[in-house]
Amino acid sequence: MTDRSDHNRATWRQSLQGWLWVAPALLFLVIFVYGPALTNIRFSMFSFSAMSLDWDFVGFDNYLRLWNDPKFMTALTNNAIYAVISVSCQVGIALVLAAVLEARIFPDFSANLFRTALFLPSILPVVVVGLVWQLLLTPTTGLIDQILWETGLASWSKAWLGEPDTAIFAVIFVSQWQWTGYIMALFMVAIRAVPRDLYEAMEIDGASGIQQFWHITVPGVRETILIVTIITILGSLKVFDIVWVMTAGGPNHSSEVLGTMMYRAAFRDDMIGYSSTIATVIFFIALTIGLVQIKLQKDR
Amino acid sequence: MKHLLAVTALATGILASLPGLAQDKTVVSFLHKFPEPENMAYFDAAVAEFEAANPSIDIVMEAVADEPYKDKIRVLMASDQVPDIYFSWSGEFGRKFAREGRTLDLTEALKGPEWQGRFAAASLEPFQFEGKQFGIPVNVDSKYMIYNKAIFEKHGLAVPTTFAEFIALNDALLAAGEVPIAYGNQAPWAATHYIGDLFAKMVPDDVRQADYQLLAPADQLYTHPGYVEALALYKSFGDKGYFNNGANAISHQQARGAFIAGRSAMVYLELVEFYMLADTPVAEQGWGFFPMPPMEGAAGRNDLLTGAPDGFLISSKTEHPDEALAFLNFITSPEQAAKYVSTTGMTSAVIGSVTEATTTPETLAGLKALEDAAGMALWLDTDMDTASANVILAAGQGLLSGDETPEAVMEKVRAAAKETLAQR
Repeated sequence: MTDRSDHNRATWRQSLQGWLWVAPALLFLVIFVYGPALTNIRFSMFSFSAMSLDWDFVGFDNYLRLWNDPKFMTALTNNAIYAVISVSCQVGIALVLAAVLEARIFPDFSANLFRTALFLPSILPVVVVGLVWQLLLTPTTGLIDQILWETGLASWSKAWLGEPDTAIFAVIFVSQWQWTGYIMALFMVAIRAVPRDLYEAMEIDGASGIQQFWHITVPGVRETILIVTIITILGSLKVFDIVWVMTAGGPNHSSEVLGTMMYRAAFRDDMIGYSSTIATVIFFIALTIGLVQIKLQKDR
Repeated sequence: MKHLLAVTALATGILASLPGLAQDKTVVSFLHKFPEPENMAYFDAAVAEFEAANPSIDIVMEAVADEPYKDKIRVLMASDQVPDIYFSWSGEFGRKFAREGRTLDLTEALKGPEWQGRFAAASLEPFQFEGKQFGIPVNVDSKYMIYNKAIFEKHGLAVPTTFAEFIALNDALLAAGEVPIAYGNQAPWAATHYIGDLFAKMVPDDVRQADYQLLAPADQLYTHPGYVEALALYKSFGDKGYFNNGANAISHQQARGAFIAGRSAMVYLELVEFYMLADTPVAEQGWGFFPMPPMEGAAGRNDLLTGAPDGFLISSKTEHPDEALAFLNFITSPEQAAKYVSTTGMTSAVIGSVTEATTTPETLAGLKALEDAAGMALWLDTDMDTASANVILAAGQGLLSGDETPEAVMEKVRAAAKETLAQR
């Protein structure tokens, strides 16, 4: 009985020490993350503008309004498309590129050149990337249009950022151009951690490069694939900057995403409560994805 | 060690005395939306000159660009950190501040002798709310169709005097293989300048004003057929190819550049952009301008020019109203206004500041046309309530891309206006 009590006391003391160690970080999180998140949920129940200090309590009206807002479905769909394409490119293509560059198919010089060229866009500021691509995609005088005309593909010429059917895809394309190389670099690090013996053993058994990829590389970087997928999906959900710089959600809201919709509601439409509602929805979607990630990691 | 202590004591003493020094000066914060080098050259010099003449006042100036300004001022309002002096467009954008009590009433102050005769009534009026003056105009601006004289001469075309002639002109340019109008509508405020002008021409003035200011009964808001007709006319400009390809994907600056490079016959520009055409290829070819021509038999007013004055407001919560007003008095004095015009190329709202000595002949002619006009149709996106204006802003793109109809747009405008009215 005495032993057990001592054991409990020791655990409690150890636990207190642990809590003290994490207290500063926890305090920081409460003040700057959880506090504002909870305050935001409270804001979402009110209707008020930036100009006025009068707040009207509207309960869940803002949520109902959001549900009935056609722009919300457009934004949600665009976020989903963004996520699907990003996962395909930034996880699928980046993994293949990393595997090819790590398979020593190319001479070192060429491999380094490819790696640098693919990684380079990720170190550029998003605003710069957006503005440069905006110029490249300009109708008639932009480089892309000029190339299409010069190569006899004039019928493909489009106002890529100015047409509702293509605007969001043009933005997503630029995002993939920027980030695929970065994710590829993460995969290259993960692939290097896979024991070389396994590859050599399969080579001796006569396995092809593709077989090695499926049976060693993919299982070997499984954890990285999971984390990168979650990061990419969360990034697609929170995306704002590249969309705002390239189209500002236009034309006619066709490339609107949840981030731009939230920003527009707060800073253009003067509906802070409604904007908080959109932020709350983004928060809960992100929370759900985060919980799924934790569950998947625990299951392994 | 002694040296270290002495240095520490000295540093502490200096630091301790700094707040005391700062307290000697009255700090007046000043936020505007003119960060361009030529504008900052004027404002930096004006602030330095004012501070030299008033050593007890420290003007803390901050400038952000046009679009970010709209965001920044809202954040400052929401966080109750309103600058002592801040920029505002006229119309509903400024009225909103006045309605919420965020502006100092300047009615009595402007009755002082130094202010008399400084501004035209047309410049002051857009900064009035419920009979009170809430802002001071700093510049006036209006919109004109600029044309390339060489292209017009090449095809034997003349400046149109009626809207029907303007349509015929566009058809003739199109038939001649020219791009009639360079148009960049990526930031959709550009569309509101066309649509606002057409609304002014095609909707009776009293009806339009009652709609814009939400004074009409809720069930009658924006029901005049002129609105739908105006949007249909704007859409037809895009459908017929009067505008360049992909206008929604091009910025206004790019469109202006295309006109300057001679790739289009016309472009719709503001008076304050006239100075940008100097020393360019189009200046060598020759350029002229004309207001959007009058529309025969239209229900609205043909004697209005699309444009507006911009101005400065003083926060109702300022602790230094006298100093803030003194600074505005200084920068809108005739001497400073003349410097403002000659340095920036802008058209000051101060009477007598835009002269042959301070600006170009074209800008002077543009200002004369503005003075000859009976009044202004204010920028649509700053004149309507925010929610209705946002519908029009998006529609300016949607009508061109073909995924909006004029009827559907006005249905949305009515819904937005009704909701705003219900909340007031």
